[in-house]
Amino acid sequence: MRMTMSSVRTKHWTRVEYERLVDLGAFRPGERLELVGGAVIVREPQGSPHATAVGLAEDALREAFGAGWTVRTQSPIALDEDSEPEPDIAVVPGNRRDYRRDHPSHPVLIVEVADSTLLLDQREKASLYARARIADYWIVNLIDNVLELYRDPVADPEAPYAWRYGSTAILHADSVVAPLALSHSPVPVSDLLP
Amino acid sequence: MAASQARTKRWTRLEYERLIDLGAFGPEERLELLAGQLVVREPQGRRHSTGIRLVAGTLRAAFGPDWNVEAQLPVALDEESEPEPDVAVVPGGPRDYLASHPTRPALVVEVALTSLALDRGEKASIYARAGVADYWIVNLVDNLLEVYRESQADPDAPYGWRYGSTTTLRRGDVVTPVALPHWSIPVSDLLL
Repeated sequence: MRMTMSSVRTKHWTRVEYERLVDLGAFRPGERLELVGGAVIVREPQGSPHATAVGLAEDALREAFGAGWTVRTQSPIALDEDSEPEPDIAVVPGNRRDYRRDHPSHPVLIVEVADSTLLLDQREKASLYARARIADYWIVNLIDNVLELYRDPVADPEAPYAWRYGSTAILHADSVVAPLALSHSPVPVSDLLP
Repeated sequence: MAASQARTKRWTRLEYERLIDLGAFGPEERLELLAGQLVVREPQGRRHSTGIRLVAGTLRAAFGPDWNVEAQLPVALDEESEPEPDVAVVPGGPRDYLASHPTRPALVVEVALTSLALDRGEKASIYARAGVADYWIVNLVDNLLEVYRESQADPDAPYGWRYGSTTTLRRGDVVTPVALPHWSIPVSDLLL
């Protein structure tokens, strides 16, 4: 059975409309959703390796960034006019109360932990984040047990959202990674892998 | 652009009706819920509008006062579909559906110009799945009437059901609605 229809146009939600749905209580409690390029996407349930890796990245990045930064897990980002994703990790400037009224819009670092979602995170999500000029995007790739680094957003009409990252690196457990926003505080990649 | 790997949210009909009650959609938005997807209805031209008027007028005359012949009004088709067919014939009077939209049209008609592939494919499968016994497509591309009947399960169909019988009728033919076995409607009354 087909899940989406080929010959039709489905409703394209703006971020403002989507936030209004959330405020109106249009979604069921416990529904894990995000707005990606105008489409309301269901986030897959996560297994224990995924949840563990999210926790590891949260601990490592909180320690590396320290005061003056907030490490948010699976919380909404007001990314652009038609996207409000909930990345596994987003590092934003300031403290938690700075985002009481509005979700943060420009994380200095986004991390997705990927097992079943690897292709989505490497293609659609990467293109979406590149389009929003997220300078530093990491994928904790649980399939190959590596960290993928994406940087330097460039326009590319062939990409799903017309942008992609121009530079990609793959780091193994024996390397260290320095966030772009924090070049003096390298994090051992092994701290991020379950 | 849709994300190929991602699963989009499938709305239930109750959620969709709640969105409407909450005022989630703009007044200019024309949507229908098809198998959980919020589908945007394309703007219609004069040929399409005229086709709807012809079909509605002809069916109103044929079915008489015990039936509502509705143009582009919601049908509570199944748990995850609330289409607004170009024409639907439902039993009873106008006030019978104050509490809830009709669920079981005796006849559904789509007037197809640009939407022919959708009306023959996904929509036919959704109507067949819901047990709509009589589904017609006024095909304005080829200027003929397509009559779909006898819904049956088919795992290869978009929504697991299709119509087992398809008849193509032309100007000069007559068509008899399943719900009006003693009535013959000239096909020419339905074509532009």
